[in-house]
Order: sequence, then C-alpha cells, then structure tokens
Amino acid sequence: MTEYILAKYNFWIYVVLMMIGLYAMMGKRNLVKKLIGMNIFQTSIILLFVSAGVKKGGATVPILRHSDYGPEHVEHLIRVADYLNPLPHVLMLTAIVVSIATTGVALATLILIYKRYNTLEEDEIMAIRKDIRSYKTPRILRSKD
Amino acid sequence: MAAPETTNYCAGKKTNYKKTSLKKMIDQLPALIIVAPLLGAFLTPIIGWRYQHLCHPWTLLILTIPLYSAVGALLKVIRSGPFGYNLGGWAPPWGIEYRIDYLSAIMLVLIAAIGLLAAVNARPAGKTEFKGKEAQLYTLFLLQITGLLGIVITGDLFNIFVFLEITSLSGYGLIAHGEEGAPMATFNYIIIGTIGASFYLLGVGYLYMATGSLNIADLATLLPALYHSKIILVGFAFFTTGVAIKMGLFPLHIWMPDAYTTAPNSVSTLIAPLMTKVAAYLLIRILFTLFAPHFALSVIPLATILGWMAMIAIIVGGVKALAQTDIKRMVAYIMVAEVGYIVMGISVMNRAGLTGAILHIINDAWMIFCLFLTIGAISYRGHGREIYHFQNLSKKMPLTMAAFVIAALSMCGIPPACGFFSKWYLIMGMITAKQWIFAATLLCSSLINAVLFFRVIEKAYLAPPESMGHGHEDHEAENIERKDAPLSMMIPIIISALAILLLGLFSGKIIDVVIQHAVPAIF
Amino acid sequence: MRKWFKPISLATVILTGMLLIYGIHDMPSWGDPNSPANRHISPRYITEATRKTATPNIVSAVLGDYRSYDTLGESAVIFTASISCLFLLRRIRRQGNHDD
Repeated sequence: MTEYILAKYNFWIYVVLMMIGLYAMMGKRNLVKKLIGMNIFQTSIILLFVSAGVKKGGATVPILRHSDYGPEHVEHLIRVADYLNPLPHVLMLTAIVVSIATTGVALATLILIYKRYNTLEEDEIMAIRKDIRSYKTPRILRSKD
Repeated sequence: MAAPETTNYCAGKKTNYKKTSLKKMIDQLPALIIVAPLLGAFLTPIIGWRYQHLCHPWTLLILTIPLYSAVGALLKVIRSGPFGYNLGGWAPPWGIEYRIDYLSAIMLVLIAAIGLLAAVNARPAGKTEFKGKEAQLYTLFLLQITGLLGIVITGDLFNIFVFLEITSLSGYGLIAHGEEGAPMATFNYIIIGTIGASFYLLGVGYLYMATGSLNIADLATLLPALYHSKIILVGFAFFTTGVAIKMGLFPLHIWMPDAYTTAPNSVSTLIAPLMTKVAAYLLIRILFTLFAPHFALSVIPLATILGWMAMIAIIVGGVKALAQTDIKRMVAYIMVAEVGYIVMGISVMNRAGLTGAILHIINDAWMIFCLFLTIGAISYRGHGREIYHFQNLSKKMPLTMAAFVIAALSMCGIPPACGFFSKWYLIMGMITAKQWIFAATLLCSSLINAVLFFRVIEKAYLAPPESMGHGHEDHEAENIERKDAPLSMMIPIIISALAILLLGLFSGKIIDVVIQHAVPAIF
Repeated sequence: MRKWFKPISLATVILTGMLLIYGIHDMPSWGDPNSPANRHISPRYITEATRKTATPNIVSAVLGDYRSYDTLGESAVIFTASISCLFLLRRIRRQGNHDD
C-alpha cells in the first residue's frame, strides 16, 4: 500500500492541493481567501502537468548539451531518455501566465468591490446589497454617520 | 460569393503570377480570421491614445475582415469539404492546426456577424457610458471576439484553453464595468469561471498523460483503444464539467443571471448570445469529435445525466424567469432554459436531436441577441427595465418593440420565426429517442415562454394609455413622444429581427447544406 | 441557506477528490520514461527541434516555434488582462476626484 502511494506520490500531493484550493474557493466567505484558493488550485494543476514530463534515470533539463549539437547534425545520436519532456513545460509557461492574468483581473474587481462596499466579507456585502435594493441607507453609510 | 469575385479580379489582371499569389492569399484566409481582430485589438489603444473618436470606425473596419474570411471559409467548406491550416507550417500533432469543418465554419460566421453587429450597437454607449474609455472598450470587444473565434477555429485542445481564457478575461473586464452589483457578480464569475477553465485544463492534462497528444484529430484516433482506462473517464468527466460551467448548465449556472444582468447593456449584447453558444459548441466537439458518440452513451451514462440536468435546467430557468419583474434578468433566466434545450438535443444522441441542437445554437444566438439589443435600446432611451415600464412602449418605440415581438414569437416557437424549426427538430429527436418526458418538458417550456413574453407584449401594446387612469385629457395620450432607438442601435436590431425571420424561412436549406454534414455520419 | 454552504462545498470537494483519486489508479507511475506522454510526440521535439530551429533550448524552440501560436495567445492574455484592469480601475480615480 505504502509502495503504491509512493510510486505516484506526485498525484497524491496534487490531489490534496487541489482539494484545499477548491474548498477555499467555494467554502470561504472572504473574497481574498477565495482568490488565494484559486491560486492554490491553479498551482496544483501546474504541478500535475510538470510532473507528467519527468523521466527517471538521469534525464536532465531539455537544453541540448554541446556534445549533442553542432555544425554536423547528430540527430540520431541524441538519446530521448536523456532529456525531460519539454511539452508540459511549454504548456505550463502559458498556464502560469494565464493564472497571473486571472489573478490580476480578480484583484482589480476586488478593488472595485472594496471601494464600493468598504469590506471584502461576502456576507457583509450581501447585507449591504440587500439594503440598497430595499432603498434603505446602506450599512456602510450608517456606520459612518 | 467570395470565390467568383476574386477569380473575376484575377481575370482582369490577366497575369498568371497574380493568380497564384491571390490563390495563396486565399489559402491564408483562415489565419486572417484570428490575426485581424487580434492585431486590431493591439492597435486600438494606440489609435485611441490621440483619436478616441476613430476607435469605433476602426473596430468596425477590423471586424469586417473576420466576417469576410469566415464567409469565405464556410463557402470553401461547402464547396470542397473540411480543411485544415497548419500554423507556422508545422505538421499537426507537433504544431497547432486550424480545423475548419461544417460546424466550426457556421459558428465562425455566426460569431463574426453577431460580433460586428454588437460593435455597431456599442457606439451610443461608447459615447455616453464609457466616455473617455472607448479605446479600452473596443479593445476588449475585439479581444472577446478573437477569443470566441479562436475557440471555434482551432484543432488543438490546449489552444482552446488559451483562447477560452482570452474570452473570459475580456468578459470579466467588460462585465465588471456594469451597474451596482456588477463587480460582485464578476468576482463570482471569475471564481466559477476559473474553476471551469481549470477543470477543462485538468481534462486536457489527463488526456495528455494517457495519450501524449493534444491535437483533437490525433486524439480521436488514439482514444478508442483507451476507452476503459480510468484516466480517460476522469478526464472526460472534468472536460464536461468545465464546459458545463462555461455554458451555464443548470446546477452550474449560478454565475450567469447575475453577470449578464448587471453587465452594461452593450456588453451583455455581445457576451450573452455568444459565450454560452461557443461552450455548447465545445461540448458537441468533445462528445462527437474528440470522443466517439458511443463513448458518452454506453461506456458511461453521461448522455442520460446530461439529459436530466437539461430537463431541470429548462424547468428551473422557466420558473425563475416567471418570478422576475426585471426584463433583463428574465431574459438571463430564459438563457438558462435555452442552454437546457441545446444540451437536451445533444443528450438524446440521434440525428434529429443533434440537428435541432446545432440549429438551436444558431437560432438562439440571434434571438437572445435581438432581445438584449432591444432591451439595451429601451434602456438607452431612458425607460426602465421593469415590466410596468413597458406600458405603451409600442407607441414610443414602435420599431424596437416590433423587433422585440419577433424575437418573443420566435422564443415561443411560432412558425415563421426560426425558434419553431429548431424546437421542431428537438422534439422530433426526443420522440425518436422515446423520451416522452423530455418532449413534454420542451412543450411546457414553450408555453412558459409564451406566458413570459405575453405579459410584456400586453403591457406594451394592449395596455390603456397612461393618462386614462389618472383622468387627464385625451390629447396628452396622443402626445406620447415617439422616439425610437438611435440609428447605430436600430441597424443591428432590424438586421437581427430579419435574421430571425430569414433563418426560419431558410432553415431547411441551412440544414441541407451545412448542418446535416456537421452531424456525425454514424447517426 | 448560509448554514448549508460549507457542508455543500465540502461534499463537492470530497467528491472531486474521490474522482481524482479514482483516476490515479491507471496513471503511469511518476517519472516513467515510457509513459505515453513521454513517448508519443515529445521525442521528436527533442531530436529535431535543435536542427529545425537552431535553438539548443528545446523548451524555447517549442514555445517560440512549434507552438508559437499558443505563445501569441499567451501574450494576448496578458494584454487582455492589462486592458481589463485599465478599463476597470480608471473609473475609480475619476470617482475619487469627484469626491474630493
């Protein structure tokens, strides 16, 4: 059993991280915590992809050694098992950028929300919005007076 | 249409060299579909730096290029069948390819046409609501359309994710600029939308780990050997969930009504009709192109699950829509039901059902587009969005209300309008599959739609003039100011209303020429 | 409603986690050089990318040439995000000026 878990421990780590992130996104009531959960969630997927490209047995980073390239192309001499799989790395470079971009836009909306309601707790925002909809003085203004 | 024109031009030039170079140019048309709006989007802020007023004409100019290329691609597909385009000249499983078949070609035309009209419609809003920010507004418009086109045109799973994110990010920005609750609705949309996109990416990852490929056509040949592998099952589950979130299928629709109601009118006109439809297109791609149809039927009972979810979506959407008095929110809930229609058509897995689903993707995009356009025009003229604000609106804005009525009739499924035909095929599909409950739900939903829209139409057309109740003199009723939407809003409204009628009249032809080839041959 | 929020999300998370763990069974074990991902299309990148693109760094070669269209999309994502932020946050400054 332990061997079974250890053979694929990268997957277990990513599953745990992903569950933490997903729970933070859905269960937490603070908007910043939700955003942090989103980042954990995206990071777990990046880990999954990158771990798919790993090769055991002496493989190194996918940058060709000097002996493997030169003026005369020695393509047939390059051993595929010597280098890690480059494709997941490429995909994850894009995914990291996407994750940063999403975080940026989410932070921009958080700024808007904070300016508007003066809080980042979802429950308080809901209460304020309810006040606004029923034409009462919103809570933020009441507390200021 | 495009081809004869260009050959005429060649004949005029009479040089063989020109002919081949033009032919080469036509071969590059598919690339233009994405590159033109993308480069246009990059240039828009630069133009807007000094000349804000040029942004709108520039956007329109740019958006005609994808429309022209998309029509060219559709004609090419009709003439000579599906074709691919290798980006950068790399052969498909290694590089990225465009794959244009019947379904994606007609989706491209749909997106390009609605995108162009929505950009025309944004002009008055750009002058008032977004004063001083026109450049950013149109940049995001162009990026949104680029993303949608990119999802449809590409043949690579990871590339779909990238363009899905372009679409989502520009959508977040545009929606958050709306009314009071918009930032909060957007934040919920970001969280749920990111879960959707990440689930999609996870599905891509699982498929990649099981097969080592990212190209849809390549995967379609590799996957059948692995249909009983657990990785594929889990990957498939995440794919479908992710796409269902983006589509707003029933239990995952919670972000949709809020986001589309609070978004600025000109923005929901663009995003609401297209985003859900493109996600529905993705679902069809995954179920029928990436996987073989029997996978979702027999290997796992996904089709049944989707069918029941769609049924609940139709019921919940209809009932929730009945409870709304704000007409924009009502249309947003109707969209929940309409997504249910499409998914239900997909879920029965037969020719009639899928034909109905694809036809409904097209028809529903135009109907929702027309409804949001009219609501936008009505709001622009200072009328409220509550149903009681529609009192006598037929006299104040006759053309706009006429378009509204056409879209409403189409929603209820009255024959000359296009809604009838897609619902006809959907119901035929349910009957072929012997799903009587689904067929009954569809009929009930049409009745609910009739009730929904009759409430509004009655207020607008049949209600007594406002002055009668208050006992004012009669001449005041005659003096109701007639002020229809401005021209740049009127043109899209009229075109979309005409499109609803024309799509209805020519639906047989559209099915013969395009859609029947888009349905997998096994059915 | 609010009372049920945490149990529902916890249940969803556990369901998702179980689905993921279910998928682990058939996964290739970690670092297997013969897993499908390492066997199908990536070997060709390693052997021919340097000759075709004159770049010893294979990740750069794939990022900038084989899958450069993805990279174009990636830069478009960054551009979209920056324009979105600009679009949203410029209003705040103006509102702030109004308040002053």
